[in-house]
Amino acid sequence: MAYSLDKIAVDELFSKWGEDYLIYGPTLIKNTGRLSDTDSVRYDEVKSIDDLELNLKSDYSFKDVILPISEVLFYYNEDGMMVPKQKHNGAIIFLRSCDLHALDRLDQMFMENGKPDFYYTRLRENLKFVLIPCSKSFENCFCVSMNSNVTKNYDLTIEEINGEYVFESKDEYFTKFFSGSKELDYTVPYVKENDIKVEHVEKINNLAITKSEMWREYDSRCIACGRCTLVCPTCTCWTMQDIHYGDNQKAGERRRVQASCMVDNFDRVAGGHVYREKNGDRMRYKALHKISDHRERYGVDMCIGCGRCDDICPEYISFSTILNKIAKESE
Amino acid sequence: MITNEYLPFSSKVLKVTKHTPMEHTYTMEFAGAKDVVPGQFFELSLPKYGEAPISVSGIGENSVDLTVRSIGVVTDELFKYEAGRHLYIRGPYGNGFIADDYKDSELLVIAGGTGVSPVKAIIDYFGNHNDEVKSMSIITGFKSKDDQLFREDFKRWGKQMNVTLTFDRGDETKENIGLVTKYIPSVKVNNFDDAKAIVVGPPIMMKFAVKGLIERGYKEENIWISHERRMSCGLGKCGHCRVNSTYICLDGPVFNYTVGKDLID
Amino acid sequence: MDVNTKKLKKNAFRVTKRRGYTASRIRIPGGRLDAKYLSMIQEIADTYGEGVVNITARQGFEVPGIRFEDMDKVNVLLQPIIEGLGINQPNPEGTGYLSSGTRNIAACVGNKVCPMANFDTTEFAKDIEKAVFPNDLHFKVALTGCPNDCQKVRMHDFGIMGMTLPQFHADRCISCGACEKVCRRKVVQAISMKNFRPVRDNETCLGCGECVIACPNFAWQRSEKKYFRLTIMGRTGKKNPRLGQDWIKWIDHDSIIKIIMNTYDYVEEYIDRSAPGGKEHIGYIIDRTGFKEFEKWALKDVTLPSIAEVRTPIYWSGVHYKKQFDY
Repeated sequence: MAYSLDKIAVDELFSKWGEDYLIYGPTLIKNTGRLSDTDSVRYDEVKSIDDLELNLKSDYSFKDVILPISEVLFYYNEDGMMVPKQKHNGAIIFLRSCDLHALDRLDQMFMENGKPDFYYTRLRENLKFVLIPCSKSFENCFCVSMNSNVTKNYDLTIEEINGEYVFESKDEYFTKFFSGSKELDYTVPYVKENDIKVEHVEKINNLAITKSEMWREYDSRCIACGRCTLVCPTCTCWTMQDIHYGDNQKAGERRRVQASCMVDNFDRVAGGHVYREKNGDRMRYKALHKISDHRERYGVDMCIGCGRCDDICPEYISFSTILNKIAKESE
Repeated sequence: MITNEYLPFSSKVLKVTKHTPMEHTYTMEFAGAKDVVPGQFFELSLPKYGEAPISVSGIGENSVDLTVRSIGVVTDELFKYEAGRHLYIRGPYGNGFIADDYKDSELLVIAGGTGVSPVKAIIDYFGNHNDEVKSMSIITGFKSKDDQLFREDFKRWGKQMNVTLTFDRGDETKENIGLVTKYIPSVKVNNFDDAKAIVVGPPIMMKFAVKGLIERGYKEENIWISHERRMSCGLGKCGHCRVNSTYICLDGPVFNYTVGKDLID
Repeated sequence: MDVNTKKLKKNAFRVTKRRGYTASRIRIPGGRLDAKYLSMIQEIADTYGEGVVNITARQGFEVPGIRFEDMDKVNVLLQPIIEGLGINQPNPEGTGYLSSGTRNIAACVGNKVCPMANFDTTEFAKDIEKAVFPNDLHFKVALTGCPNDCQKVRMHDFGIMGMTLPQFHADRCISCGACEKVCRRKVVQAISMKNFRPVRDNETCLGCGECVIACPNFAWQRSEKKYFRLTIMGRTGKKNPRLGQDWIKWIDHDSIIKIIMNTYDYVEEYIDRSAPGGKEHIGYIIDRTGFKEFEKWALKDVTLPSIAEVRTPIYWSGVHYKKQFDY
């Protein structure tokens, strides 16, 4: 059932939900872009509908909410170790269809790849998802090609229509807040076509693709900065770090910190050997993981076609173009 | 409640065996030793210094041997530990060498340098269960006599199996000098259908040893290798050890060559 | 022919090499203008000049080959350009520029175009233009977006370099080392890594923003406020050319304008009226009065940001031609 509410009513809802959950969503942060006098859209806590950016694609994804960029695994001192409390006991997350598909990939990594991950699982519990439907494609999106343009796995949807906010609820928790609200007929929109289309290859010949000359272009074009993986809602790699606090050599923390296979040192092993020195090889390692490598293990591509990697690349490298090149090389 | 696999547990150092200044074996108290498989690994976990994946080189009643080469901050710190002290470990992780895979075979183990430690427990096993294999041979190589590991064990193995010990450099009149590949042609094989081999060592050594075995007549599916990779979390989560669709820490580090050969970094 | 050269110079014309002919000097504060003004400038050159336009070293245009008797007509054609570029004009419309002593406020391309620039140089240049014009004292002011100093602002009386005060968000840092690397390789190595994370040495830091640009994960972010490095008393010339020296680091927009305006009062007080053409570079006046006297005037009623660092006194050296011959 769908309901229409004005801004004041929506803000009242936000404050009621805020009593039970932390609310996270994309927010437009003025003048905080990398370059001066530019804005950025990133995930943060939202208190009011005014904080929420419903019209732009976020530069970074929602993943930090359940996979913190830096997360303390335990504090240590001479006496032992202490696991910190989780940073929330439940959250409402505003996101788009592709992001909800990305959530499946995060779950695969942290709950199915080996034993379930303690830290991920405890943040993953008690989450509510509010879909921000896309009525049209953004630049660089290729969700239709990746089958992530439609989703049913939401608890609530929100769309601004003529100054009012239209919600469709599939979840008891949310539905109870709408009793008495104006009801209406509503169909959740979704993207039916993107300008960018990516060709799928069922079976990729790893050996042939690895040897392909196509990667050599990226040896020089790619600067190995890692932005593509950090904005990616499905990239999950991290590195362990042990630190001690200032003067006290016996107390400190062990934390895990997001990592990137594009950045130096990711694949450096004790003794100094590096498996992928060339940036083009790192690109290949990442690209194949995003499609065939993950698919072999979990039956779906990892990439969900949000195009954030293309949006942010300072060298204008297009990942969808790379996927299409792989398809062409595989013919 | 899901177990927090990241929390290491305290374990007592029972014994330190110093093979060389760079390589020591730590015999660690571990109650679950009987379920440990040769070729598995533990994370040596020293808060403040970090973690390092270390292969199991021996399995006792209530202990495991971890043979460590000092090449980083974690292992350097470890070398300050003597018997009696406690340190943190977690594991075991990975698949290891399953003894059943090699039963009734003419088994050959080729190992170089620290590559001997992940295969040591499987060598021990078939040394002690000679009746479970048709024959047992090992070819092991070290840089020099001074770099040799497990000197005491070699004495025992010499009585239990065909041992070829070779060094990259040294006195040719007293010892074998040359790479392990040099000795592959002289391994006695009765029937290549029964001939199985395990190869562990530096990547370049594994490459040429496998090549030598295949030329000799060994079947690809009868060769196993162990991949030394940058295992970090040991739990299939951090992504560092992934190669193609394989997570070395979960699916390996031991692979049948038919699978292992296709892993491309 | 009877022409008052003093008057025409003040009206932004010039005595040129070719007798009987002048050149019209057109101010373009910040060096950026709507393209439509180009055709207006072209019309002046085609109608009254010789169909030629010079691009000046200070980002203005100069239309040469104009007969002295056509200056009034040129001033009429200049009117839409003067208006369109927002040049103060207390004098009647159609009579051209009221002064030319304080030169065009020059600026690098700035953050409208350049990714490295820390502020909008054009807009700041226009703010300064609004404040100083039509002052006729010989002041040269230039702005540049970052310490790369593409505008060479250290060759000016007032050089303004854009800065940002990098803000570190530890919880976003992934320890990639990009900031440390870029600062070490491209700038002054103000960042060192400790416990896997960068530590910025504020004294060494130029505020250039390279760490913010290099950071892939917004661990380094720009400060909300924009800051500047103010270098002073750089100059070219035949006596003693020299590079402007750092005076105030982490200064703000309004303080800079106030300081420039205060300096006009200082110069009015101390200028040597008998100097050739009645004009003197400010630096020579400071050499005469001492730096502290200048500073007293310049900082009058100025409230600097709390983080501002003032270097005082300043010593300049520069090129001493006479000394060189003494070698």
